[in-house]
Amino acid sequence: MTEKPGPMAPTLAGRGVTKRYGAATVLADVDLDVHRGETVAVTGPSGSGKSTLLHCLAGIVTPDEGEIVLAGQRVDRLPESRRAALRRERIGFVFQFGQLLPELPAVENVALPLMLSGVGRAEAVRRAAAWFTSLGIEGLELRRPGQLSGGQEQRVAIARALVTGPAVVFADEPTGALDSTTGDRVMGLLTGLAVRTGTALVVVTHDADVAARCHRTVSLRDGRVATAAGAGA
Amino acid sequence: MSLRLALRLLRLGGRSAWTSAGLVAAGVAVATALLCVALGALHGLDARETRTAWRDPVPAAPGEAVTQLRTRTDAVAGRPVTEVNLIAPRAGAAPPPGLPRMPSPGEVWMSPSLTALAAALPPGDLAARYPGPVTGVLGPDALRDPDELVAVVGRPAGDPVLTAPGTSTVVAVAAFDGPAAPGGDSAVRSEIYRQLTVVAAALVLFPAAGLVGASARLSAARRGQRLATLRLLGASTPRITVVAVTEVGVAACAGALAGIALEWVAAPALAAIPLAGGGWFAADVRPPPSTLLAVAVAVTLLATVSAVGGLRRVVISPLGVARRRDPQVVRGLRLLGPVAAVVVFGVANVYRQASPIAVAGPVFAVGVLALLGAVGVLGPLVVRVVGAAMTRRARSPHRLLAGRRLLDDPKGAFRPLAGLTLAVFVAGFLAPLTSAVAGAQDGRTDVVTMPGGRGDTVLVGDLGRGALVVLVATFLLAATATATTSAARVLDHRHVLYLQRLAGTPTAVLDRARRAETLAPLLANGTIALALGLLCASPFAPADAALQPGGPAVFGALLVVGTLTVLGATAAARPLLASVTEPGRERDR
Repeated sequence: MTEKPGPMAPTLAGRGVTKRYGAATVLADVDLDVHRGETVAVTGPSGSGKSTLLHCLAGIVTPDEGEIVLAGQRVDRLPESRRAALRRERIGFVFQFGQLLPELPAVENVALPLMLSGVGRAEAVRRAAAWFTSLGIEGLELRRPGQLSGGQEQRVAIARALVTGPAVVFADEPTGALDSTTGDRVMGLLTGLAVRTGTALVVVTHDADVAARCHRTVSLRDGRVATAAGAGA
Repeated sequence: MSLRLALRLLRLGGRSAWTSAGLVAAGVAVATALLCVALGALHGLDARETRTAWRDPVPAAPGEAVTQLRTRTDAVAGRPVTEVNLIAPRAGAAPPPGLPRMPSPGEVWMSPSLTALAAALPPGDLAARYPGPVTGVLGPDALRDPDELVAVVGRPAGDPVLTAPGTSTVVAVAAFDGPAAPGGDSAVRSEIYRQLTVVAAALVLFPAAGLVGASARLSAARRGQRLATLRLLGASTPRITVVAVTEVGVAACAGALAGIALEWVAAPALAAIPLAGGGWFAADVRPPPSTLLAVAVAVTLLATVSAVGGLRRVVISPLGVARRRDPQVVRGLRLLGPVAAVVVFGVANVYRQASPIAVAGPVFAVGVLALLGAVGVLGPLVVRVVGAAMTRRARSPHRLLAGRRLLDDPKGAFRPLAGLTLAVFVAGFLAPLTSAVAGAQDGRTDVVTMPGGRGDTVLVGDLGRGALVVLVATFLLAATATATTSAARVLDHRHVLYLQRLAGTPTAVLDRARRAETLAPLLANGTIALALGLLCASPFAPADAALQPGGPAVFGALLVVGTLTVLGATAAARPLLASVTEPGRERDR
């Protein structure tokens, strides 16, 4: 477990987050703070509300109760268009699979978020290519996602998530489709880069080894925080 | 076992599987309905010819005649009236169709429309032309169409009508149930219309087949990935083939039956469209059951073959399909297609000019089909070239996305455009003809060369009307193909699109990318199709006839309709795009 950074105002704060789908309460009164450069694992069995919590914190769905603050902004009060802009500029995502556009070469997949934010194509590609070196995948820039191994694809996804300099990165089972050795390397890169760049990282996982790489772990059960462990938890 | 698995996959596939199956059925239904309309027109011409053959009979051998027949054409209220005179009819002989008995001299039998007209007009205007009051009303078997004005008049031997001036001849008749006399006016006119209808059917056939193929390959990526997964799990090639065939076959068969039903229901409205001087009985434009069965089987087979054709990559490289490793390969060899088609068209055209009228239509149709095929063969290559250019020059995300998509899957990207491109070809073919026709009707020009070298006012008018019907049909096919295929592409890429939107990609960017990947290649393909269409019309009207009054109107309407079709089709898929990418749609796993 890496060393947790010092106390400061949280980059991301969820207070009393509650979400219902019909009669079922999927999340009930969940509190979670994540600081700059901090890595937090959210674990729990299937259906415990992990992904729903991630979706609420990232502004993908609006909680029924509670508040979410990201970089000083009340995310839950923003309209979808503003939340989409926030996700584009202040949040990075790493999913289990399928986040790369299959028809774009790897480097253009990474450059795309920059282009969507108004950066010119040449500059976006140049900045994207720099991440390939940082992640040890130089030489793969022009390959299509289908021509990459699972580990290489996840590294490209990490580059894509970090290229805009987000305040927080959400990773949903980022090693779920990888073997343990490759998964370990990918998690090492992800947590290392988060700490180095001062990006908050929230990882949803059911893998104890992945959780152990984070500063602390929040465990959910039936939509509630069951345990919180780790430095300062 | 495989069949059960296929039906189970379809049944339990959820809303998206049902949506895909529904889109396949809808596309096939529209194509089938329009094919039935084309075949219905051919059937209608045959039915008309059969019903009116008795008026132009084969002359009887000496001693076998039961009557003499002389037909005259008259006019009332600006409409032609056909008067069939039976001179010295033998009592008790078999009567003409639509009559209960052979008319006696002095009797007058009229068609329903002529009966109504005779009652409505002052006697001096119509009824006084005949030797007696109306004896009875002719049955439908005697009429070319329900509104035809016909009178069958019994005359005594030596009646002056035998020697009255006129171009028609007196024919001795032995029986009225034989075919029309070969080489007679009626037979030649029918043959001209039949040949023109064959060409029109050929023009509709390709877009219709294209729509069937496109419909069958709707959601091809999604189906391919699912079948690739089955293959990776150990399913044999025959088993995944059965799964794919069943999935598409069931939907296509349902669509074919729906299309047949649609044409059946629409027959009364179709029967109101005049051709060769009149409308139709609804039964005329309904193809016979054997033809309908053949259409249903052919359409279902075509759909399943198209779907199975797309499975080749799944069988050879399931991992590649599951992970979309291989980009589509479109080779430059496709350029040979148009070259070969132009040669085939040239040869067919030379052969057509030297052929008797009965084979001229099919021969020319072969040339038309060759050029239409060339448009389809060249299309994906043009898409690839446009994609490469767009990617190279892209400065905005949507143009980069569009360009890369075109490069990644040129065949898939051409699919939504194929129908519209073929419609442009048809318009290119018909524009010079319609404008030359307009000129001929206004007396400005006589540039239209009819098959068989005949000029005819009614025929010229019908040519313009037929062109309009074919244009409407092809654009309807194109609009359906574009809309359904656009929707299918959204469904195929739903997961990736969803994750893109989660990551903050605005729907407007995804939407603009879809529009760009449609409009630019359509423009390029449309230009080529237009040129080939003009080439196709060149034997009948010079290409510059398209610039005469009427031509620009056709082109302008074409431009408006084409653009609206593309915009409408992409707009139709917008709610689907918004729905499948709605944040939070793919819930907690």
